[in-house]
Amino acid sequence: MMTTKITARDRINETYAIETVDLTKAYRPPGKIASIAMRSPIKAEVLAVDKVNLKVREGELFGLIGPNGAGKTTLVKMLATLLWPTSGQAFIKGLDTRTKEAKVKSNIGFVSGEERSFYWRLTGRQNLRFFASLGNLFGQTRERRIQDVLDRLELSDAADNMVYSYSSGMKQKLSIARGLLVDPAVLFLDEPTKSIDPVIARRIKRFIRDDLVDGEGKTVFLTSHRLEEIEQLCDRFAIIDHGRITFCGTVDELAGTMGSVDDLTLEDMFVEYISKKEVV
Amino acid sequence: MRVWRKAWAFLVRDFRTQMSYRLALMMNVAGIFFSVAIFFFISKLLGNSINPYLTQYGGNYFAFVLVGLAVSGFMGTSMGVFASSINSAQTEGTLEVMLVTPTKLSEIVFFSSLWSFAFTAFNILVYLVIGALVFGLNLSHANIPVALIILALIVSIFSGIGIISASFIMILKRGDPVSWLFGSVAGIMSGTFFPIQVLPVWLQKFSYIFPLFYGLRGMRLALLKGASLSAVAPNILVLTAFVIAIIPLSLICFKYGVRRAKVDGSLATY
Repeated sequence: MMTTKITARDRINETYAIETVDLTKAYRPPGKIASIAMRSPIKAEVLAVDKVNLKVREGELFGLIGPNGAGKTTLVKMLATLLWPTSGQAFIKGLDTRTKEAKVKSNIGFVSGEERSFYWRLTGRQNLRFFASLGNLFGQTRERRIQDVLDRLELSDAADNMVYSYSSGMKQKLSIARGLLVDPAVLFLDEPTKSIDPVIARRIKRFIRDDLVDGEGKTVFLTSHRLEEIEQLCDRFAIIDHGRITFCGTVDELAGTMGSVDDLTLEDMFVEYISKKEVV
Repeated sequence: MRVWRKAWAFLVRDFRTQMSYRLALMMNVAGIFFSVAIFFFISKLLGNSINPYLTQYGGNYFAFVLVGLAVSGFMGTSMGVFASSINSAQTEGTLEVMLVTPTKLSEIVFFSSLWSFAFTAFNILVYLVIGALVFGLNLSHANIPVALIILALIVSIFSGIGIISASFIMILKRGDPVSWLFGSVAGIMSGTFFPIQVLPVWLQKFSYIFPLFYGLRGMRLALLKGASLSAVAPNILVLTAFVIAIIPLSLICFKYGVRRAKVDGSLATY
């Protein structure tokens, strides 16, 4: 099926923080010669993301949930310019992620739940200095910004210790601090509270909702397996399953599609929703 | 200006990381001392027996092999640093986080190599200083400007090969055939440790297809005999031809590698 390309002119009156149009990603197995050189985990074509259409408003906290292997990471990576789509388009603040990659990167922050994404032999501050330089922040502006994010995430006291001495929670906070260095308009948070204790997780969630979204009006795109987190924080969320968006709306709207669901949590509804889809 | 500041950020990152392993740094210098000592005593053992082969370079095996080690040190760094910078960023988990910043992958790879080049230069300097002060290496006739021109050409050629190698690493993750070919075969064929005249005649002919052969020959003439630019011009011309052929090819390969990795989503995997 042909996809209509969206041009800059089409977008003048309608700019979302994040928008995708029939966004699709297919992973294909390597050719014969490449498969001799290296074994590939892909044996047949996999449609990881299938014609996804999403619109996330500016200042919205939007969640993405789905079972393992549903396509969440692939979708986020395409939005963050790490991966090229097979077809369709993705826009960040109206900028095409393929053709305006550099400008898109100036508008986004990326926070991974991956602990290993720092130089463990450097201090927290030295790590932030390095990544701030990659984000075109230098000199006094850089130092002020680093101190600001360290203060906000309560990391100032540990800033001059090597990262390898940090706890998981501190590394996660440092990861958020790094994502905020360039003051991005859109922040991608990939499981920001993974493997950290409930006390720190609660502080981080408050920081995301109260400071980043309500306070500064940032757009946050959050993926998480902790569904209570999505329920507590997000304005809206989408469910992705087998690469397709099967639901997009609020918790109440999901409840509405499922009939009588009094006292059910999002987790209960999600499990039932996914089970029904599998039966169908 | 931004580019320089970013380059500086990479240098500071790698310098601080290196300095956090102080014992390794001290052992590195000690290792150079022992390695120089080994070649000094091998040179004494050989005496004048291989000198007919070395006449054109001044007749001293110790000086011959030290220059060989210096040049092959730069060759090894140029060839390996780009692939290893991608590989270590993949395994450290920092590559994706760097790639979502406005800094291009080509800049990330290039700037990540700077410390390795600086460290190699430091190592070579230590080699030569220990060789001169402790073991009597004589470089008083060296033509340094010509040696630097040859060094720049060698680094350019092998950086090109290193970038091709990095392109393979982006797709295949490990085991690129380019560095294998130039790393192991060229070591034997180009005369790093011995003059190629000791090889069988039919094998010597293959030496002429390796740029390292011309680099070593030019560098030895410049450092050990003080050869002028015109005297080493044939070597410089051949090296320049290699640069013209390899650098554009390496950029094409790199562009293709990035494209492939972005399409199949494997840039950060290893």
